[in-house]
Amino acid sequence: MYDNEYFVVDMASCTSTGEIINSLSLALETLNHSGKKIVLKLNNNYLNQSQILSMQSLITSYGCILDTIETTNPETAAVAQNMNIYVQQPIEKRVEEKYDEDENLEFKTFSLDVQKNPNDITLKEVNGLHFEADLDAMSNNQNRIDIASDLREAGINPKSDFDTIEQQISNQYSRVEEIMDTVEKFSPSSLDINTQVISEIPSENESQIMPQSVITAENDDRVEQNKEEFENAEKNSIGVYKKAYDEDETNEEQWEEVDFYETSTNEPIISDTKETTYITQTLRSGQVLEFDGNVVIIGDCHPGSEIRAVGDITVWGVLSGIAHAGYKGNASARIRALKMNAVQLRISNCYSRRPDGTNIPYIIRSSIFTPEEARIVDNEIVLYKINQN
Amino acid sequence: MTGSVIVITSGKGGVGKTTTSANIGTALANLGNKVVLIDTDIGLRNLDLLLGLENRIVYTIVDVVEQRCKLKQALVKDKKNPNLCLLAAAQTRDKSAVDASQLKEICETLKEDFDYVLVDCPAGIEQGFQNAVAGANEAIVVTTPEMSAIRDADRIIGLLESKEGVERYRLLVNRVRPKLVKSNDMMGVDDVVEILSCDLIGVIPEDMNIITSTNKGEPVVNDEKSLAGLAYMNVARRITGEDVPLLDIDEPTGLIDKIKKFFLKKA
Repeated sequence: MYDNEYFVVDMASCTSTGEIINSLSLALETLNHSGKKIVLKLNNNYLNQSQILSMQSLITSYGCILDTIETTNPETAAVAQNMNIYVQQPIEKRVEEKYDEDENLEFKTFSLDVQKNPNDITLKEVNGLHFEADLDAMSNNQNRIDIASDLREAGINPKSDFDTIEQQISNQYSRVEEIMDTVEKFSPSSLDINTQVISEIPSENESQIMPQSVITAENDDRVEQNKEEFENAEKNSIGVYKKAYDEDETNEEQWEEVDFYETSTNEPIISDTKETTYITQTLRSGQVLEFDGNVVIIGDCHPGSEIRAVGDITVWGVLSGIAHAGYKGNASARIRALKMNAVQLRISNCYSRRPDGTNIPYIIRSSIFTPEEARIVDNEIVLYKINQN
Repeated sequence: MTGSVIVITSGKGGVGKTTTSANIGTALANLGNKVVLIDTDIGLRNLDLLLGLENRIVYTIVDVVEQRCKLKQALVKDKKNPNLCLLAAAQTRDKSAVDASQLKEICETLKEDFDYVLVDCPAGIEQGFQNAVAGANEAIVVTTPEMSAIRDADRIIGLLESKEGVERYRLLVNRVRPKLVKSNDMMGVDDVVEILSCDLIGVIPEDMNIITSTNKGEPVVNDEKSLAGLAYMNVARRITGEDVPLLDIDEPTGLIDKIKKFFLKKA
């Protein structure tokens, strides 16, 4: 389908964003594709703008360009189109599978034609219904040409005929190529054609069709399952805690330059092999806990309290104060809480704040706990449900 | 540009200093002035909560004083009104973290960039009060029509008179309940003014909206229907020099009163 410029990354089997990014970076790392245009096959996965953006930046970091996104999900398509990425609907798999079997049939008749009347091969014979079949035949074009050359080698046709045959074949080839281009552009319409072909398969082949329809049903199930899983995943990643310095940037415009976030990242990154302290009391307003390692608090952290840890912070309770994990510059530090309601979350030199709202929600203590973990993704702090990846 | 530094103080706690600061600040900003609010109640900060800016605070006044950041970095811009800024107090320290000369310096610096510097004073007459008053050239004394609050206000006025910088002080009578005043269960505004013999800058009626506005983090001034919000707006206008008559805070109780009032207004 795609020439050398393009590189297709098929990620239809991936269900979560993490998986997609993983497999994408794997694919980009293993081969040298600098300068190539990447085509992402995303199946039915829904990706929002930031996710696509992050993927785009990942691709650009490998020296490639995100050119096309193949997706069946209309929302993803809309988002991608907004970002000026070419979107196309993939030819559905089941149709292709069907063709693997049907093609032989069609191709046979076609090649029979070739053998019978090589001089009469014209595209006019190829009506709309047989269109896709021809394309598939053309994709196996090598065979056809081989047939022609076989004929020539066998000396069946006189030499004088041969030139015309070859010319005709090459003409046909170029014309089919043109058509292939157009089909590529309008692949949805080709889908319709395919389905028509399927319906017109003679009743003899019903036995063949039956298993195929089962396959398609399975496929649909799988797609639905994927969709369900993906939707759940979407719900679980609550969203990005807004960056605290969004506001500060506006300050920056008005005031002189602000070197706000130049916190000390020069210090060596400390992994979570540090020691851990356990606090079994509630942190109240005004109390600060600072520790050179990981912190585990069995209790709540009230608004106005502050936790600073070189490593991770884990709160077995409601976290509604300020939590600063990896405050000496460990971007891989994480903050976990049974209920995340923090006024601000800070990891390393990345700051984020709670979305604006009323003060009441964090006055009311909820008995419904939704364990969450905050970590840095693309320089933004993102919350994940703890049982999720 | 040299703005005025106004300290909002009371002596007694719980009379509505912080609410008054937040609302007058917002009202002044809504009138088109550049306003900065300074919370000097270090360790018991609340002003950020009333303005709904708690989640935006990165640096506080203590960070400024201890030179961990520049003054302008610590100013938190309001969500709605870009004219309004907040210099928050630190929650994890106490009043001794800042001294009077440092706060005076901050006020002097902010005066250059802002029309009004409103200093929210903590309760009491200890160091917190001394700090807050240090840079002020004007004061608003908040009181409620209760004996205890009036006595504390009297003490505060005495202290303000002995301060050099404070050129002018005015009284704001808060949480007035017209019904109780009518039935002689509460001191009237006139009585308060007479006891304290002090200029009046405004009368704020008791308003249920204040509670919800505190919880929402949205000053009541932004609510046009609120009587207290209207009263605060009038106070702000008086601060800018406008001559605004006192708000009629007598709430018409029954239907007949409402009709009476309607016709009286017309006539």
